Amino acid sequence: MNVAVMKTKFEQSLTEQFNHVSARLPGGAAVGVARKAALGRFSALGLPNRRIEEWKYTDLRNALKEPLAVAVDDDTKVTVADLIVALGPLAHLEGPRIVFVNGGWRRELSNLEGAEGIEVAALGATLTAAQDKIGEALAGTTGPDNDAVLALNTAYMTDGAVVRVGDGVEVGKPLLLVFMRAGNEGRFVATRNVVSIGKGAAATIVEAFIGLPGSTAEGQHNSATEILVGDNARVTHVKIAADTGKATHLSNWMVGLGAETVYRGFQLNQGLGLARNQIFATYHGEGAKLDLSGLFLGRGTEHIDTTLVVDHAVPRCESRELYKGVLDGEARGIFQGKVIVRPDAQKTDGKQMAQVLMLSPDAEFDSKPELEIYADDVVCGHGSTAAELDTDLLFYLRARGIPLDTARSMLIESFVGEALDRIEHEGVREVVLEFARGWLANLGR
Amino acid sequence: MAAVEATIEQVKKIDVDQYKYGFETDIESVKAPKGLDEDTVRYISAQKNEPAWMLEWRLDAFQRWKTMTEPTWAKVHYPKIDFQDQYYYSAPKKAAGPMSLDEIDPVILETYKKLGIPLKEQEILAGVQGSRVAVDAVFDSVSVVTTFKDELKKAGVIFCSFSEAVREHPELIKKYLGSVVPQSDNYYAALNSAVFSDGSFVYIPPGTRCPMELSTYFRINEKNTGQFERTLIIADRGAYVSYLEGCTAPMRDENQLHAAVVELVALDEAEIKYSTVQNWYPGDKNGKGGIYNFVTKRGDCRGHHSKISWTQVETGSAITWKYPSCILRGDHSRGEFYSIAVSNGYQQVDSGTKMIHLGKNTSSRIISKGIAAGFSQNTYRGLVSAHRKATGARNFTACDSLLIGDKCGAHTVPYIEAKNSSAHFEHEATTSKISEDILFYCRQRGLSQEEAVALVVNGFVRDVLQQLPMEFMAETQKLIGISLEGSVG
Repeated sequence: MNVAVMKTKFEQSLTEQFNHVSARLPGGAAVGVARKAALGRFSALGLPNRRIEEWKYTDLRNALKEPLAVAVDDDTKVTVADLIVALGPLAHLEGPRIVFVNGGWRRELSNLEGAEGIEVAALGATLTAAQDKIGEALAGTTGPDNDAVLALNTAYMTDGAVVRVGDGVEVGKPLLLVFMRAGNEGRFVATRNVVSIGKGAAATIVEAFIGLPGSTAEGQHNSATEILVGDNARVTHVKIAADTGKATHLSNWMVGLGAETVYRGFQLNQGLGLARNQIFATYHGEGAKLDLSGLFLGRGTEHIDTTLVVDHAVPRCESRELYKGVLDGEARGIFQGKVIVRPDAQKTDGKQMAQVLMLSPDAEFDSKPELEIYADDVVCGHGSTAAELDTDLLFYLRARGIPLDTARSMLIESFVGEALDRIEHEGVREVVLEFARGWLANLGR
Repeated sequence: MAAVEATIEQVKKIDVDQYKYGFETDIESVKAPKGLDEDTVRYISAQKNEPAWMLEWRLDAFQRWKTMTEPTWAKVHYPKIDFQDQYYYSAPKKAAGPMSLDEIDPVILETYKKLGIPLKEQEILAGVQGSRVAVDAVFDSVSVVTTFKDELKKAGVIFCSFSEAVREHPELIKKYLGSVVPQSDNYYAALNSAVFSDGSFVYIPPGTRCPMELSTYFRINEKNTGQFERTLIIADRGAYVSYLEGCTAPMRDENQLHAAVVELVALDEAEIKYSTVQNWYPGDKNGKGGIYNFVTKRGDCRGHHSKISWTQVETGSAITWKYPSCILRGDHSRGEFYSIAVSNGYQQVDSGTKMIHLGKNTSSRIISKGIAAGFSQNTYRGLVSAHRKATGARNFTACDSLLIGDKCGAHTVPYIEAKNSSAHFEHEATTSKISEDILFYCRQRGLSQEEAVALVVNGFVRDVLQQLPMEFMAETQKLIGISLEGSVG
C-alpha cells in the first residue's frame, strides 16, 4: 500500500538540511553520490512507523517530532578532565581509546598507545583522504537498503572509527570507541564504524555512547557499525549506551561472520529516552558461533527497543541470544528477535531468550521472538518471559533481616547477572556491572 | 542422508488417492447467479426468507466489505482471488431447510454415510459403543438436517441451523450476532457477514449441561462455490457445551473459498469446548486445487469464571488462515488453545491464536504443535496481550514444530504484549526434526520406518490429542497417519 503521506517536520528538516551541510561532509565525489542516493531513499521511505511490521512497537514517525540541527565540524570545548568525568566507570578501563565529540574526532582526547597490531583511524579523515573506490566501500553497508535509519546514517555520517586487526593478531586490551554528547544545544549526530577482524585474530571492542554532565539532555545519535569477522577469529563486541534519560539513540550493527568464528556481542542500554538497537548478523562460513546478549534498563517514559535478525545462511552454525530487561515507571521495553534458517543451513543450533522484570504496574514489555526455518536438521528454540519480582523470594530475604530495598537490588542484580556473565572480558564486564549498579542505586524504592 | 531422498520419493507418491473424502455427489442444486453484488446478497436473503433486519445487516456488511482490502501479512502465497468468479449460494434442490430424516434426498444421506457421519438417530441409539452426538449437517450452503432435536429441546438446549434460528429466535440472534466478530472485523469476516448462507446456532440455557456432544459437519460439494457459514454458540450462566466441527470437500482442480465465522459467547461461569477436525481437500501433489480456508473464529469470555477452549486438528485445505481467539473479558476467565497443524505437499498453514487478557486474574494456555512435511510451509502466529487493567494475567505458551524433509518450512511468529507488571507470561518454542536415535530405537524393535514416524508424531501431539472429545480422538490419530504417510525422513 503506497499512500502518499505528508512529511513530518523531522523528515522535512532532515531532507532540507542536506543542502546546507553536504559540502562540509567528508568524502570525495563517489561518497557524495552515495550520500545523495541514501538521502533519496530516506526521503522516499520516510521515518519508520507502526504500519511497517518491523517497527510495529517503535513508531519513529510519531516519536521523533522535533528535528535537531545536524552536527558538522562541531567545536564544543571538551577537556580531558571532562572526558574522565563523562566516562564514569569506563575511565578505569585500560586500553587504547579513540574519542568523538558530537560526531567529530578529537585527537587530543584520544590515546591509541598500546594498540599494537590494530590500525585505528578516524572515518572522516579517511574518507577525505581516500580514493573514490575506498570511500565508496566505506560508505556502503551490508544492512538492509530499505531501512530509513541506516539511510540517514549514510547520508549524514561525519566520523567514526575505521579499525583493522591484522591476520593472527591477538589484542589483549580492549579498544574503546567513545561517542560523547556535549554542549548546550541538542544535535543530530551520525557516526559510522567500519571494523574488520583478520583471520585467526582476537580482539575486544567497546563502543560507549555517553553524555557530558552539565550538557543539554537533548540529542539524537544515529550510529552504525559494520563488522566483518575473518575465519577462525574471536571477537568480543560491547556497546554501552548510558545517558541521562532524554536522548535518542538509533543504532545498527551489521555483523558478518567467517567460518569457525566466535563472536560475542553485548549491549547495555540505560538512561535513553528512545532507543532502537538493530543487529543484523549473517553467517558467511560454516561452524561459526554467535552469542548476542544485552541488558536494557528503563524508567520514566523511556522506550528501549532491541531488534535482531540472525541469518543462518550456511550449515553448522550456532546462535545464542540472551536479553534481560528491567522496567520501572512507565518504561516500555521491546524485544524482537528473528532467526532465519535458510534451506541449506542444516545442523543449525539456535537458542533465544528474552526475560523482563517489571517493577512498576505501568511498565510495558512487548516481545516478538520469531523463527523462520526452512531446513529440517536443526534445533531451534526461543523463549520469552515477563514477570514482576517474586514476592516469595522478597519475603524470604526480608524474613532474614535484609531491608526491602537491598532485597530488591539483590534479586534484580542476580536476574541481570546471567546476561552480564556472557561478557568474556573481565574488565569490561566489571564496567558494565558498575553502570548497571549505578542505575539500580537510583531505583529509590 | 539417504532417507531424505526416500522422503522426496515418498512425498511424490502422495497423491489425490490419499484423500479419502474427495468424491463428488451428483445432485441437482439451486445456485445464486455467479458473482457478487448487492443483488447476490438480496438473493441469498430472499432464498432464506429472512426478515428485513437480517437483510439490512447483510447489506451493511457488504458496504463495509467493498471498502476493505485483502490482508497480505500472513505467510501464505496464492494468486489473487477473483471474487466475481464464483457462486455464493448453492443448495440441494429439494432441501428447503432442515426437515425430518425421511424427506432428505437419499443421495445426500449416502454422502454423509460415506463420510462416516451418523445422521440416523436410531442407528446410534442401537449402537453399543460410544456416546451419542447430535449432528447438524451442512451441505454446500444449507443445513440439511439436525439430529436429536427433540431430545435436546427437553433439556432446553437450542441446536438448529442458523436460518432456523433467525426465524425462531430472532431476539437471541439480534443480541449476539456480530457481538464477538463485528461485520467489519476483517476482510473475510465482512464477506461472510454479507453472504453467509447457513451454519449452526446453539444456545445453552443457564445452569444446563448439554446432555450430548453437538457437532456440525460441513461439506462443500458444488463446483466454483464458496462456502460461507456462520456459527454462533451461546452458553448462558453456568452452562456447559462441547461442540465438534468437521469439514470435507471433493477433489477439484480449482481452488475453492471457505470463509467462515464462528462466534462463541460464554457468560458467567459457563464453559464452551470447541473442537475442529479440519480435513478439507488440500490440493494434489503439485499444489493444484484445494480449499482456501480463511476463517475467523473468536470466543468471548464475557462472564466471570467463564472458560473457552479451542482444540483444532488441521490436516486439510491448501491454505489455512485462521486464528481461533479468546477475549478474556470476565474476571477469572480462562482461554485455552490446543492445535495440531499437519501440512504436506504444497500446503500453506498460517494459524495460531490470540489471547486478549482484559479482565482481572485471567489465564490462558496455548499448546501448538506444527508438523511440516513435503514442500509445505507451516507458520504459527499468535498474540498474547494483557491490558493495563488486566492485573494478574497468566499465560503459558508452548509451540513446537517438527520438520520432516528438507524442503518444508516451519515458522513461529509470536507477539507477546504485557502492559502491566503483574502479568506473568511465559513463551517457549522449539523446532526440530525427529531424532535419529529415537527412530533407530523403534526400528530396532521391529517397527517399520513409517510406523516409527507415526509413533513419534503421535507422541509429539499427545498433549493436544488428549483435549479432543473421545469420538474424534481415534479419527484424528488416523488422519495424522494419512497426512504424513510417505513423509518419513
